[in-house]
Amino acid sequence: TDAYLYSQSSVCDAETIFALSSGHGRCGVAVVRVSGPASSMVLRNMAGLTQALPPPRTALLRRITDPKSKELLDRGLVLWFKGPHSFTGEDSAEFHIHGGPAVITAVLQALGSLEGVRPAEAGEFTRRAFHAGKLGLTEVEGLGDLIHAETEAQRRQALRQMDGELGRLYQDWSYRLKRCLAHVEAFIDFSEDELIEDGVLNQVDSSVRQLETEIERHLKDERRGERLRTGVQVVIAGATNAGKSSLLNTHRVPPSRGTTRRPLVEREGVRRARQRVEQADLTLVVVDSTQLPPDPQLVAAFLQQHLSTVLPSPEAGMTAASDKVLLVLNKSDLVPEEQRERTEGELRERPGLPPACFLSCSTSTGLEDFLTVLQSRVKTLCGDPLSGAPSLTQARHRAHLQQSVQALNQYHQYRDQDLALAAEGVRLALTHLGRITGRVGAEEILDIIFRDFCIGK
Amino acid sequence: HSDMRAVGKWTWLTLKLHLLRHNVLSFVSSRTGSDFTRRQYDVIVVGGGHAGTEAAAAAARLGAETLLITQKIMTIGALSCNPSLGGVGKGQLVREVDALDGLCGRAGDAAGVHFSILNRSKGPAVWGPRAQLDRERYRQFIQSELLSTPRLTVLEGSVDELLVSQPNPEEPGHHRVTGIRLVDGSHPILSSSVVLTTGTFLSGSLFMGQTTSPGGRMGDAQSCAGLSYTLKETLGLRVGRLRTGTPPRIVKESVDLSLAQLQAPDKQPTPFSFLNTHTRCKPEEQLPCYLTHTTPGVERVVRESVHLNCHIQQDAKGPRYCPSIESRVLRFPGRRHQVWLEPEGLTSDLLYPQGLSMTMPPELQLRLLREIPALHRAEIRTPGYGVQYDFVCPTQLTPSLQVKSTQGLFLAGQINGTTGYEEAAAQGLWAGVNAGRTALSLPPMALSRTQSYIGVLIDDLVGRGVTEPYRMFTSRAEFRTYLRPDNADLRLTPRGFEEVGCVTLRRYKKAVSVRDGLQEALMALQSVALSSTRWREKLVCSLTLLYHVSFSLSGLDLLQYKDVSFEMLASAFPECLSQYFEYSQRLKIEAVYRPHCEKQSREMERIRSEESLSLPSDMDYLSLPVSLSQEVREILDRVRPNTVSLSKTTTNHISTVYAILVKCYKYLQIMCLIDKLGYFLCQ
Repeated sequence: TDAYLYSQSSVCDAETIFALSSGHGRCGVAVVRVSGPASSMVLRNMAGLTQALPPPRTALLRRITDPKSKELLDRGLVLWFKGPHSFTGEDSAEFHIHGGPAVITAVLQALGSLEGVRPAEAGEFTRRAFHAGKLGLTEVEGLGDLIHAETEAQRRQALRQMDGELGRLYQDWSYRLKRCLAHVEAFIDFSEDELIEDGVLNQVDSSVRQLETEIERHLKDERRGERLRTGVQVVIAGATNAGKSSLLNTHRVPPSRGTTRRPLVEREGVRRARQRVEQADLTLVVVDSTQLPPDPQLVAAFLQQHLSTVLPSPEAGMTAASDKVLLVLNKSDLVPEEQRERTEGELRERPGLPPACFLSCSTSTGLEDFLTVLQSRVKTLCGDPLSGAPSLTQARHRAHLQQSVQALNQYHQYRDQDLALAAEGVRLALTHLGRITGRVGAEEILDIIFRDFCIGK
Repeated sequence: HSDMRAVGKWTWLTLKLHLLRHNVLSFVSSRTGSDFTRRQYDVIVVGGGHAGTEAAAAAARLGAETLLITQKIMTIGALSCNPSLGGVGKGQLVREVDALDGLCGRAGDAAGVHFSILNRSKGPAVWGPRAQLDRERYRQFIQSELLSTPRLTVLEGSVDELLVSQPNPEEPGHHRVTGIRLVDGSHPILSSSVVLTTGTFLSGSLFMGQTTSPGGRMGDAQSCAGLSYTLKETLGLRVGRLRTGTPPRIVKESVDLSLAQLQAPDKQPTPFSFLNTHTRCKPEEQLPCYLTHTTPGVERVVRESVHLNCHIQQDAKGPRYCPSIESRVLRFPGRRHQVWLEPEGLTSDLLYPQGLSMTMPPELQLRLLREIPALHRAEIRTPGYGVQYDFVCPTQLTPSLQVKSTQGLFLAGQINGTTGYEEAAAQGLWAGVNAGRTALSLPPMALSRTQSYIGVLIDDLVGRGVTEPYRMFTSRAEFRTYLRPDNADLRLTPRGFEEVGCVTLRRYKKAVSVRDGLQEALMALQSVALSSTRWREKLVCSLTLLYHVSFSLSGLDLLQYKDVSFEMLASAFPECLSQYFEYSQRLKIEAVYRPHCEKQSREMERIRSEESLSLPSDMDYLSLPVSLSQEVREILDRVRPNTVSLSKTTTNHISTVYAILVKCYKYLQIMCLIDKLGYFLCQ
């Protein structure tokens, strides 16, 4: 039958993964999913189950503790799914815990500290389910969208993290590690025919050691560097004098925790502004109502045009119709009542345009309605597991950095015995760091080699 | 009789093994033979270089009636440039071609006059088997191999036109190749597949000083104008232009070798081929190489001659890693560059100056050479020159090296934008295999990146394309610790016999016995386990590392240590280990690498599973009725993730599977995106 698509060569992933599969905002219950062969170990360790596992698919109320420190993290429901009777077809477990950010972070970090357990990559649960033949045709059709959405969310999250001091730190490490690898590879691939100075490897030795020290220090000292930006990111964008600052200064933007207020977008920084917009979960485009065409029929086209100048190009995955944009038509008090009403009617349910709210920052007219719309948007975003749980990102970064340091150990271990295996350590370290900063291909390494050395036989 | 007239100008050769095996190769035209009337072959291979010879031999081994067409029979197997084979990365390719029963490894063993394993101190995964070759012996070996290959016919001639017709509607593609027409022939020669290995001859031009002439190699006729036209105009293939060059050949007697540094070969030559235990050249007969360096005078001559040098002023891209002396000096001025003086053969009176490829006028070439102390009296036999040629952008090929748009047309070697004998041989073999399979109505096959350097090479070419002549480096292989020169036979020979069909029974049996022997030996090693104290007593040597180990260790564990050799363990347990002495080096390598390879096995499995989940090559991504952003569509349209296994093996049987595939596209596209391009989006 056609029911299952791809079960003949299912991939056996020996790694166990976890992820927060509910939203990360304020919510009553958060669900953390674990999948992979170590799931039963995870369940035993985290839920203090010394004896038998609970019967499959039965909720059990347990104290959830940190397996290392034995510290109590939360009380919550745990569920056990014995493979193949689970979403991914693998042994799986679920933790239903309280939804506060502190609890979630603590549980995710405890999971990350377990051997052989790591945070899931985007789409990984779904991918495993697919490979296990757990998805039918209809589900597969939706799969692309889902994975795309997850990737997109993670991409936004990553872009955001890469923007700050932390991002610069990672990029610097990545750059130095790339050079180390290029120099080792140059020594392997070219030193027999070329004049590669003997000192090259000694330099790599010290650079690798230096990197190890820095990454280790960073992992030990959590306060160092910038904390990850958390919450839903809202950007206010618009032309000069449209009223962006006024909107921000109304101090009425929902005070819900985790909302970052980020004013901006003047003409000079258009590129940076667009970058911000691209990283944002929600963009408020502020337009001066007095600048709208007096003929309501022309307003939609005008706004469309305006959006295309403010928002990044549609190719970047952001279109005006996207639910990540709200139009704020400010200074409504300066527009005749009748014109405003007719325009509102014209814009209602207009395909291709985001919802538009008339308001006046100076008189507060329309502000309540706007806030209701905004709040419901933020709520949706917070409840959406895709908007990128920062604590998960943090756990992922830690895991990759730790693995990176471990891999660098291999370099020293084999440095004098087998340079191919030593180089493997640097390659592996770069792969792990690359999971944060972007994958590095062989061509990029070759480019560095040809830049730094005179190769030619 | 009209047939006779039609073929009058060609030299047909259908000489079978017993006739010429031990003869000097005199290529007699056999117009009286019965085969010359043959107008139909399974496979036609155009070109007799490293790619063409491997392709023809592989197709014939597979069981296809094969015709090799070359401009000059005497240049079959000629080494156009450097007299050497193998090296770091390239040596791996030679071992792999040999493991698939190709020619170049055995030819290297027959023709080598100076063998060395490069990177000896850097770990067995990156060892580079290399040999200096006797040009004459290499050519002879290749020619006699081809002549003794059943089902293979060699024809001297020039191909004028590629014949194409309507495609087979059940397969993707806009055309189907049906054969070729020779320059002088009115009759077409038909075939199910054609392999083009035209090297630098596709719209090739030669450059020396300010003169330019059409051609692909000095001394040979120009050619391929008609072929060029067919590829570009009829088939609409995208082509690019690349350049390369070769150094002047120097009269050995005129060189003052006392001013150069002697480079001795390995005392004991290591053969390339898994079938050989020793090389034809005896250890003591080997010839040395010499190392010398450029001087500031060399740089001066280059600078003074730039205006007289057309080649270096051109836009076509040359290889960054094998640049002419002109580009090296101009890019990295004020440095000393290495020059290797290599023998051209046992009886040759020439030396090949590796590193001195140049295209300036001949009189300036001589001046340049004489700026190097060892060459201060040097005489040039033939001057260096540059070549520029067209290549077909290889992203237009499938992993079986077939042109996506043209059923049955395969390309291999420099025509795909690569450089190097080994790269050409590897592609030639694989194109020949698939041309043969296509002709015999077998599905095409691909080699995985996880399995071989050949797989890495082909995947890089068809997946990413080239911007400069592509050469193999070990750094291109993700699974370098597994893709080692020592285990190429285990990786490829069994599959080559069981699935591909390009390996002879004799080689297969040998590989299987090695595999079983190694397996037994590894189990025997695992079965001997002792505490570290007992090991120290047994081995009578100081193993400092062992002092820290409290649990018992197997022989296999112990073999991972730097200072432990298989011989030491075998002398401790002669009764169960001494029978495996012949494998001692391979066992040592396995013991060290196995744990690392096992760590990578998951990643390999992932790549393999996704390689097998690939997409049809003629997908219209731009109008695919699924929700994809324009950017994603364009990337997919450009990259065209390849298809082989899934569509080929399933569509023929069940049409509904095709419908399912269509549903999968969206998933697969996203997968490809995440894995191949996802990070691109992140940056």
